[in-house]
Amino acid sequence: MDERTSRTLAPRPDLKPFPERTERISAIRYELLSTPYSICLERPKLFDRFARSPKGKAARQEHPLVRRAQALAYVFSQRRPHVYPDELIVGNMTSKRIASNYYQEGGSVNIVEDVWRLKHRAIPLHLSLGEKAYLVSVAARKGVTSVGGRAMLRPGRVSHFIDIFRAKRHFVTEEAGVGHQVGDYRMVVHEGLRSVDEEAARRLESGTMPDGVELTKDQEAFFRSVRIAIEGIRQMAANLAGEAERQAQEPGISLERREELLEIAQACRWVPYEPARTFQEGLQAIWLVHIAFNLEDFEQGLSFGRLDQILYPLYLADIEEGRLTEEPACEILASFCLKACETLPLYSERIDKFFSGGGVAQAITVGGTDAEGRDVANELTGLILDSYAQVLTREPALHVRVHPDTPDWLMRKAVQVIQLGTSRPSLFGDPAVVRALETAGMSTEHARDYAVIGCVEMASQGRTYNSSDAALFNLPLCLELALNQGRRFPGKRAGQRKRMGAATPPVSEMKSFEDVLAAFRAQVADGVADMVKVITWLEEAYRIWRPTPVNSILTQGCMQSGKDVTWGGGFYDYTSVQAAGLADTGDSLYALMRVVFDEKRFSLPEFVEILKSDFRDHEPLRVELATRFPRYGNGDPEVDAMTQVAADMYSDAVISHHNSRGGLYIPGFYSMTCHIGFGRKTGALPDGRHAGARLSNGLAPADGTERQGPTAVLRSAASLDSSKWSNCCALNMKFHKGLVQGETGVRALSSLFRNYFDQGGMQVQVNVLDADMLRAAKEDPKLYPDLVVRVAGYCAYFNDLQPAAKDEIIERTAHGIG
Amino acid sequence: MADEDRGKNAEDNVGAGASPASDSPVVPDPIGELAGKPLIISVQHFCLHDGPGIRSLVFFKGCPLRCAWCQNPETWRAQAEIAFKAHLCIGCGTCVDACPHGALAEIGRRDAERCRLCFTCTEACPSEALHRFGLPLSVEDVLARLRPEFPLFKTSGGGVTLSGGEPSLFPGFATALATALRAEDVHVAMETSGRFSPYRTAQLLRHLDLLLYDVKVFDDGLHQKLCGASNERIKANLRELAAAAKGDEVPALWPRLPLIPDMTDARENLLDWAAFLLKLGIDSLTLIPYHRLGASKRGWLGLEAEPDISELSDSRIEYARALLADAGLRVFMPGEEKWDGLQPGPA
Ligand code: SF4
Ligand code: SF4
Repeated sequence: MDERTSRTLAPRPDLKPFPERTERISAIRYELLSTPYSICLERPKLFDRFARSPKGKAARQEHPLVRRAQALAYVFSQRRPHVYPDELIVGNMTSKRIASNYYQEGGSVNIVEDVWRLKHRAIPLHLSLGEKAYLVSVAARKGVTSVGGRAMLRPGRVSHFIDIFRAKRHFVTEEAGVGHQVGDYRMVVHEGLRSVDEEAARRLESGTMPDGVELTKDQEAFFRSVRIAIEGIRQMAANLAGEAERQAQEPGISLERREELLEIAQACRWVPYEPARTFQEGLQAIWLVHIAFNLEDFEQGLSFGRLDQILYPLYLADIEEGRLTEEPACEILASFCLKACETLPLYSERIDKFFSGGGVAQAITVGGTDAEGRDVANELTGLILDSYAQVLTREPALHVRVHPDTPDWLMRKAVQVIQLGTSRPSLFGDPAVVRALETAGMSTEHARDYAVIGCVEMASQGRTYNSSDAALFNLPLCLELALNQGRRFPGKRAGQRKRMGAATPPVSEMKSFEDVLAAFRAQVADGVADMVKVITWLEEAYRIWRPTPVNSILTQGCMQSGKDVTWGGGFYDYTSVQAAGLADTGDSLYALMRVVFDEKRFSLPEFVEILKSDFRDHEPLRVELATRFPRYGNGDPEVDAMTQVAADMYSDAVISHHNSRGGLYIPGFYSMTCHIGFGRKTGALPDGRHAGARLSNGLAPADGTERQGPTAVLRSAASLDSSKWSNCCALNMKFHKGLVQGETGVRALSSLFRNYFDQGGMQVQVNVLDADMLRAAKEDPKLYPDLVVRVAGYCAYFNDLQPAAKDEIIERTAHGIG
Repeated sequence: MADEDRGKNAEDNVGAGASPASDSPVVPDPIGELAGKPLIISVQHFCLHDGPGIRSLVFFKGCPLRCAWCQNPETWRAQAEIAFKAHLCIGCGTCVDACPHGALAEIGRRDAERCRLCFTCTEACPSEALHRFGLPLSVEDVLARLRPEFPLFKTSGGGVTLSGGEPSLFPGFATALATALRAEDVHVAMETSGRFSPYRTAQLLRHLDLLLYDVKVFDDGLHQKLCGASNERIKANLRELAAAAKGDEVPALWPRLPLIPDMTDARENLLDWAAFLLKLGIDSLTLIPYHRLGASKRGWLGLEAEPDISELSDSRIEYARALLADAGLRVFMPGEEKWDGLQPGPA
């Protein structure tokens, strides 16, 4: 993390400054920021050890779910506890200070591609030689038994397995794991795991469900798995308590720290099995269960939910009884936030092209309304933002829900944190989100209790099993396929490619724009169906080989039905698939309609030939399409309408499917960095985009097409009907720091976004570009083509400036002067 | 207004092929020449430094001054102009083929004698390397571009700022625009060089909420040299407006001083202005530090490069700020003004 971005806002009389970072937080943070990343191999080793142990051998006779739970409980209880200096919330995520856990049964295998050059990656990983050798051996042994292997190393499926690694039409991320969940941390904090454990015990004792019907074999296995997993978690907590007690006895430990450690030990002997008694215990309980959650499946997007709501009663009680004041509460929260930095996702550099910078995104959601729609922002909401402002680290992710009654102070505070430049928090528009969740079948009350999974995805917290990042879909490629009978355009070495999509008619037979749309629709439907087919195989493999008892404990519906989440136990069940390149698709449909059908400048076959050649000898046409044609994101309803057409075609294709758990498929519009990876595999587009160039990102306008400024972008985005986008969308916006700093920036951005949500906007996340980013923009003008630098009276596109002028702006930005 | 009939409107000038022959800065007499319909350079949204709240700026084309440091030379001439942005040109030759008057013998070299400003080339250029500065927009056109922003003006306490160029060169148009905006409860500000005819702008001023008034070079001789015209009128107008400001027939006044190294940042200049303003009962001022954005725009228009103006260091800004503050002014940086005391807002 860049030290510069950590600078808190200069105190101003009219702005309550963020609290100073305490010594403790500085120390933990410093250690985390200076620790190199690694991979932790404790998890696969313990799995191996369990398999070889007598208990593990005996487990082979057990129901697969029980076997899984036993193996997990073994890992929980046998891993070495670490309590790090100064921290108030304890529980090590891996065996090292910062590392990826290794998930041999899922997507971690891909890292083997990089194993001999780990230190030279963009994000270097540090591993000893022995560890590397072990890594290779695990990968070799487990590849076949990984979920992907089990689902697809079968006759007729292998080509799809290979396709996952080539990622053209879609990228089925579910192969790596499901993760992505907002567990029922409210239950963990206020009832404790005891409530679940006792219910499971009752079922097993009586041998029946509450209605008296006898348990099936599966149900019995389920309730046993719950008890086994909880026992494992308790043991893990006890081990940590032991470690804290041991450290408390160490010679030379300060009196103060000793007291803290003993308190920590006490907490870990109580939660998460018993209900938390204090604010700190509440966070400790969440963290302990969160570790188990991470060790079970894989780490992606496991999120905390609405912490300002869940913890508020404990916070209030502590304050009222004089046990706590604001300042230490903020420090405890900051210590909690820093725990989230201990892990990172494991991607090979190849995969990183699709997901780079994504991080794990352990999300905290704050603000919003209660089930009746009343605002619930409270002191803790503000305190959580304050605590994040102290850490400013890559984790956790932070999200603020905005609705018409969101108080001004919260909007302002959210913007103040945004100004610090870590692009957190993102903002969500409650009315649009709730409407979309209702479309997905949620009750209004449950929809209003939504919390964000990871970056933008959606759950009603504690009630939802959403494989929310199951796959990403290359939407513009469907247009390419539609224009070439289901084949990608020929590559450099010419030659016809194998058909990949539906067998739509040749362009010579398409007589109207509607014919083109029909072919496009057919390709979208075919691509989505193909994606669904692969996911269905994976679901089957998960159901049998990798059920997730911890997740099931944390998802309402499972205990009531005696079913693991992978069997469809969750109260709400979804599989979510997201489209990349939305703006490029809409703009391309519009350009094609105009050039070919309205202006009749070319016949359709002629135009398609131009596209196939990547505009060779037609550069003026390409430039005209790219710069002079109306584009989405400029508040122009005519072209925005085409973006809606593209979005609807995708949404309708997705919504028509059910997953094999009986849940719904829902669409989202975000792309991580898939728009780059997909872009490489996508030919030239009618909107003037070159073959291989990156695609538009999430809901954002295509690169270099934002001509009317941010208000028009937001207007276009808000004008789209998002009622089917139940897995939400991501709208990235970039501002030059000089434009939006200080009180002026606070006022401007808070009004800007409030206005966006008033218009029905769904989501927005903001990058405030600092000096380093501007330096990068100077090096590569393609990076932020629309970046406007605006200083009193003068206004210019950054790219239009002379090098010396760019340098000056960079200098000024670095020094925080307009 | 009677004046409106006297001047030929700028659009007509273009249509008649009025000579854009010379690009030398001819400073039009502000009193009476250009009272017709203006050309609009652009309407920009989400501006935060030109009045309270989030604002949209309407840039008028035409200015009575030629300040040496000006970075928006496209606003100088009231007539439409064609800029050539070489860095965008893809060398396709479309423009050369398209010109019906043989004025483009070569890419990027327009023969001003022959050019009839028909804009066939700017329309044809695929890359916008040939760019037309100055659109003949009607009041309704401008309103249509502003209207989507109205809700944001409301939530942010912003509005519209007429800018340029010098909007007061077109009092008829500017008044119509301001009245229409205020009829819809929009706060209207105007940026002005102060060089306008008080008689012809009286009506316009009555319909403005805020006047952002440039004060630059105090010494008239130096002003003539650096800005191309006398500042007598500018000072006189400011005096009259300040005197009238006690009544409610005129907008709130807010001076802004562009801080240009070696041109306006001398101690004497700053102190002279401070004394002048304080004497008029004006106690606030915005300091606009000079930013070098590169000479690109002058190059696009085929104008001489701007004079070499040295970098404005932080200490020089701070020196000027402290000097003015010590003299008794409340000094603000752009965008940081406390407008509260002004109580701007539609009457
Ligand atoms: S405006 Fe362009 S096309 Fe028209 S005469 Fe001049 S150079 Fe030729
Ligand atoms: S038409 Fe435009 S891009 Fe083509 S040569 Fe002329 S100026 Fe350059």
